[in-house]
Amino acid sequence: MNGKPGNLEIIIEKQARFVDPAKCTGCGTCLDVCPIRYEVQLPEEKRARAAFSEATDEAAVTDIIARHRERRGNLLPILLDINRHFNWLPRPSLELVSDELQLPLAEILRVASFYNAFSLVPRGKHIINVCLGTGCFVKGSPRLIDTLERELGIKHGETTEDMLFTLEVVRCIGCCALAPAMRVGEDTFGRLTPRMIPKILKSYAESYGQEDAEGEAAG
Amino acid sequence: MKIRSLERLEDIKQQGLALTYPDKIKIMVGMATCGISAGADKVYNALQAKIAELGLDVALEMTGCIGYCQREPLVDVVYPKQVRLSYQAMTPEKAEALVEAIHKGEVYPENLLCRIDQEDILVEDRMRPYANPHPPTLPVETPRYEDLPFFGKQVKVALRNCGFINPERIEEYIGRGGYQALFKVLSGMTPEEVIAEVKSSGLRGRGGAGFPTGLKWEFARKNDADEKFVICNADEGDPGAFMDRGILEGDPHAVIEGMAIGAYAIGAREGFVYCRAEYPLAIHRLQIAIQQAEDLGILGDKIFGTNFSFRLEIREGAGAFVCGEETSLIASIEGKVGEPRPRPPFPAQSGLWGMPTIINNVKTWSHIAPILVRGAEWYSGFGTEKAPGTTVFALVGKVNNTGLVEIPLGMTLREMIFDIGGGIAGGREFKAVQTGGPSGGCIPAEFLDTPVDYESLGALGSIMGSGGMIVMDERDCMVDVAKYFIDFTQDESCGKCTPCREGTLRLMEKLQAITEGQGTEEDIDKLVKMSEIIKKTSLCGLGQTAPNPVLSTIRYFRDEYLAHVRDGKCPAKVCKPLLTFQVVAENCTGCQLCRLKCPAEAVEGSKKEPHHIIQDKCIKCGTCFENCKFDAIAVE
Repeated sequence: MNGKPGNLEIIIEKQARFVDPAKCTGCGTCLDVCPIRYEVQLPEEKRARAAFSEATDEAAVTDIIARHRERRGNLLPILLDINRHFNWLPRPSLELVSDELQLPLAEILRVASFYNAFSLVPRGKHIINVCLGTGCFVKGSPRLIDTLERELGIKHGETTEDMLFTLEVVRCIGCCALAPAMRVGEDTFGRLTPRMIPKILKSYAESYGQEDAEGEAAG
Repeated sequence: MKIRSLERLEDIKQQGLALTYPDKIKIMVGMATCGISAGADKVYNALQAKIAELGLDVALEMTGCIGYCQREPLVDVVYPKQVRLSYQAMTPEKAEALVEAIHKGEVYPENLLCRIDQEDILVEDRMRPYANPHPPTLPVETPRYEDLPFFGKQVKVALRNCGFINPERIEEYIGRGGYQALFKVLSGMTPEEVIAEVKSSGLRGRGGAGFPTGLKWEFARKNDADEKFVICNADEGDPGAFMDRGILEGDPHAVIEGMAIGAYAIGAREGFVYCRAEYPLAIHRLQIAIQQAEDLGILGDKIFGTNFSFRLEIREGAGAFVCGEETSLIASIEGKVGEPRPRPPFPAQSGLWGMPTIINNVKTWSHIAPILVRGAEWYSGFGTEKAPGTTVFALVGKVNNTGLVEIPLGMTLREMIFDIGGGIAGGREFKAVQTGGPSGGCIPAEFLDTPVDYESLGALGSIMGSGGMIVMDERDCMVDVAKYFIDFTQDESCGKCTPCREGTLRLMEKLQAITEGQGTEEDIDKLVKMSEIIKKTSLCGLGQTAPNPVLSTIRYFRDEYLAHVRDGKCPAKVCKPLLTFQVVAENCTGCQLCRLKCPAEAVEGSKKEPHHIIQDKCIKCGTCFENCKFDAIAVE
């Protein structure tokens, strides 16, 4: 190290490793063999964490973590419960899981982005899952998707602007004998034709409106 | 109170029999996911309301799926000491009429499917007739259960209780001989004897690969590790398959009993059921079943008062097809990304948390209890020499009778599709049957007389798989089907190994080009070559079998590929870029429906005049074709 404060010349003996994104195939081998992968690198001071949007949200996540804390291999059950609670995985909740389970956030994000059930962006109130299993496929479920995309004005994987519907495809919900099928929230519909779609959507749009009105009346 | 003796088990059995066959009329509704999506919940509510309104003294119960999904919602009326009548395609209105008929002491004559005069109590090897003398006389004509081709040709072992008991009551399971096998095993058999029995039954894994179950158990038994695990693979990811869902929703205890026996045999004290999150009802019913089994001391510490303890936990999947592969499934239970690892070591040597682990499929586990009660010889009496026993298939697609069927191995595809399945829907032509999901292949009409077993299907370039059987007719394009499966595997490839990750993507590109009319004959050969490489070099079963749909469709339907690349035509009229839509002037009444529905404003024409499609504007969505009531849209 040469020079004076403000103008130092430093020779780095140990180069920081980096990944050349142009060559990386995302195979994950480096992640698997890294010896310090599961060692949490905690900074001296507590890291700045994104705040929850509602104060009660943090309690909910803490609750979920507490429920599974003692189990082996608890990351998936925790993420599933958080995903169910919020309909997606908000960043602050993942950071809380990282702190509580002493797992690197990167590892959690890797798991969260691997499985189809998790969403890292907010999803609509009603999640529409059109079944693309083989049984439904040969009975015309791609045409259901076409119709839904046209009716909702979004592509699959997207959410309507009013946050009412998210359109997703699912690889088989096991209703093959009643194909083509789709699921809206917890409700399953079988033997569908594209012509039935607008009516089904309307029933949800209306029930949504009513709940709103009730909420206002109660408030 | 926990069960500690055979007498106590017998007590509960009697309670169960009283619930399953009460002294009063019992109405049962098939309430598995398939039934509910067909409207069984509304039928159930209507029945409940009407029964309350009339103040009838009848029992209303729900049951699992008896398998005939095509005819759902199914409602059964059990007349004590007489007969059980099955009603099909019920609606809330008809349900009310049914209750009214019962109220008047009549038999409701509509929507009858069949009569069941006697039930097979499989585990105890006896028929339980409803009436004495048998058979009963009825004021209505309806075929017998066993005379319907759909049921008559089936042999129900794994599905023995589905549609016969209320799956949320352990007493009813015990009533039909449940947990007798576990009691017998714990009170008088050594683990080695159990394994020997399973081995000599010849049972092979029903998850797809067909590895002998007993042999797998023996490997784990011989390992003297401190901790061992049993896992039930209920991550039924194959699209077009719902056998596991059917069993878990209709008879969860059959799986629990099998797993407890397996755990005793290999020396495990802990087990997991890995169930996909897309099956909420199956998970719910399994949770109830585990709780009830714990309450009776059938799970937990010192089962039946012996020194054997076994705990069972449910783990939910999170939507990753690759987790059906056993090493990925283990990684997922450990809370990691579900990626496979090379085998060996096999899980039986080093599995969950590095300990010896046995993974069997839902169907395999549900075969275990009957084998141990009735003996290996009885079980191997079904099926073929190399593949004894029965297996469950989800028969779906373009057949008349879709549903869940259990057949002795060795039955021909023709019997399954044309006898049990009732032939092709809409009187169309059979084209192919697809088995084994994304890992399997399409089998054409010339091989319909092939027996269904591991080796025969393998020789045709398909696999048995876990039990999806999708029937396709002349309106299904084989190139499109291959593209569908490659799209699936490409999407579900975990990305760990290059051949699978990159190879499926390249296959997809070529298939995409062919379905858009951009392909060449050379592309077909390239598809074959790439497929061979992917098969040989991939890490796990997903990649090793992913090209099967491509290879089998090229092998048997090459002319269809050629029609796409040479003539730019899709013979099945599926691949949209190759189609043109035109109005048939003679048929068009000028009703304006297609003009109003067309999203691209590509239809012109005034009222009561034949319309016209502007080809430049047409986006080939097919809306006009679907909506036309007069067959006035022609597709070329």
